[in-house]
Amino acid sequence: MKYFKREENITEELISLYESRGYTRYKPGCFEEYSLYQENKSFLIGKNVITFSGLGGKLLAMRPDVTLSLIRHTEPPKETVDKYYYNEKVYRQTAVGNEFKEISQTGVEITGLIDKACEVELASLICDTLSIVSDQYILDISHMGFTEGLIAAFGKCGDVIYDCLRRKDVHDFAVIADREGFDEKLCGAFCAAVNVNGNAAEALDKARSIVLNDEMQKAVDELSAVCDSLSKAGYLEKLNVNFSVANNADYYNGIIFNGYIDGVPQRVLSGGRYDKLLKKLGKYGGAIGFALYLGEIDRYFKKDRQTVDYLVLYDDNTQDKAIDRAFELKKRGISVRLARKKPEDIDCKQIINCADGEVKND
Amino acid sequence: MINIALPKGRLGERVYKLLCAIGYGCDDYDENSRKLIFADTKGEVNYFWVKPSDVAVYVELGAADVGVAGKDILDEYEPDIYELADLRLGKCRMCVAAKRGWRDDAGVPLRVATKFPHTAEKYYAEMGRDIEIIKLNGSIELAPVLGISDVIVDIVETGTTLKENDLCVYAQISDISARLIANKSAYKFKYGQISSLCEKLKGVIDSDKNN
Repeated sequence: MKYFKREENITEELISLYESRGYTRYKPGCFEEYSLYQENKSFLIGKNVITFSGLGGKLLAMRPDVTLSLIRHTEPPKETVDKYYYNEKVYRQTAVGNEFKEISQTGVEITGLIDKACEVELASLICDTLSIVSDQYILDISHMGFTEGLIAAFGKCGDVIYDCLRRKDVHDFAVIADREGFDEKLCGAFCAAVNVNGNAAEALDKARSIVLNDEMQKAVDELSAVCDSLSKAGYLEKLNVNFSVANNADYYNGIIFNGYIDGVPQRVLSGGRYDKLLKKLGKYGGAIGFALYLGEIDRYFKKDRQTVDYLVLYDDNTQDKAIDRAFELKKRGISVRLARKKPEDIDCKQIINCADGEVKND
Repeated sequence: MINIALPKGRLGERVYKLLCAIGYGCDDYDENSRKLIFADTKGEVNYFWVKPSDVAVYVELGAADVGVAGKDILDEYEPDIYELADLRLGKCRMCVAAKRGWRDDAGVPLRVATKFPHTAEKYYAEMGRDIEIIKLNGSIELAPVLGISDVIVDIVETGTTLKENDLCVYAQISDISARLIANKSAYKFKYGQISSLCEKLKGVIDSDKNN
């Protein structure tokens, strides 16, 4: 198993990175009205939420996500943007296991008048975020306009075609295409889109060759513009254009991202442009953001062993003696752990065994 | 190094022979051994032999970079993986079967016995049919015979077991075959190795079918 830095160090570095770019901290409450999540279930990663009745009788929920709270409780500016970061605990069902878990989540959101500068800055911030965890990372990048335009070109079976695209499954698509009598050119475009993978410049050339409509063309142009700027800033080798990146089309509408780290089997970061969520919540403007799921990778963080100066061991007959000895050491500013036997998870520099009066080095 | 999860049994052994034919043999492999992990001494490939229904779990959680799993398992558990190729092996059908002469009574919920509850729920939800699931782990054909269910949703290969228990197929839900699947993260970091294995495997299967 690969190990990264300690979680606290990563969090500190991330906060310092976001503040150095002028992002302000957003701190939501722990609870929200359940209706916010119920009405936007498909925006959430897990569908289950911990609920309880508030004192006023309202059904409340433990926050499974920060973005929904941020959009609900802030007003996007009309002529500029607001930039936020957060570092919070969220509560949701984990990818592995069948129980709720408290998960650390760190993320960034930009709301208001979103332009190319915002998209490029956010994408570069994602790369810098991932590189703080590990330099062995890949950023999958796609555009909802491209995939939506491709799916729309078929005119029917949208959901199943989208599923095939997400799974890179051309064989089941071929069965559907055969059954529905889809045009050969369309089928070729689908298979080519599935196989787009890798270096941005090369992948975007392939993407351009399979454009079927204005929506796809606009998406490729936007994606190219962002990738060009990122390439100039030195991020090219980390970008992987991949149209199998899946985000919900009811909320996302532009560039979308997934971040992967070598040695971690699932994505550790996801995000994208989600103007549609703002519209759904009755807000003006656009938004783009991402979340890093620190909790999903906690097993990969280094855990340093704790060390104390003295371990004071006692038995039934020497408890009082041990307590006196521990107080005496503490008064001298020495760290002490009292124990009946040597704990396995802690190191100590010296051991005092009150039963035999022996002092020895560990 | 590429880590491959194969299903224990005939299908896994068949796929292993195909993988050997395209250069992914493992000199440590012994088909009579009860070992579950075989590592190639050249350090190029590791094989894990796992229960067929667990292959997708090993791949999704990254223990294996790629694996071979039945489409029935992929439909049932919907793991977050890439499905790179249809190996056209282990072909069968996911079907609805019932006692010969059975007639559906739309006025009451349909009792469905199955090992594949999610697949059955999805199929009947699309039809708007109210059902009650009876989750069984084997000998599904017994359920309608003994009257605990109206129908079964199960894999049908030749139909012999159905026939011998006086059951017949009433509807086909999907075609099933073995699929080559890949972990999403491994696919990015080992793209060259995984896509090369996939192309070679597709090639050998095509030539196998044509011969």
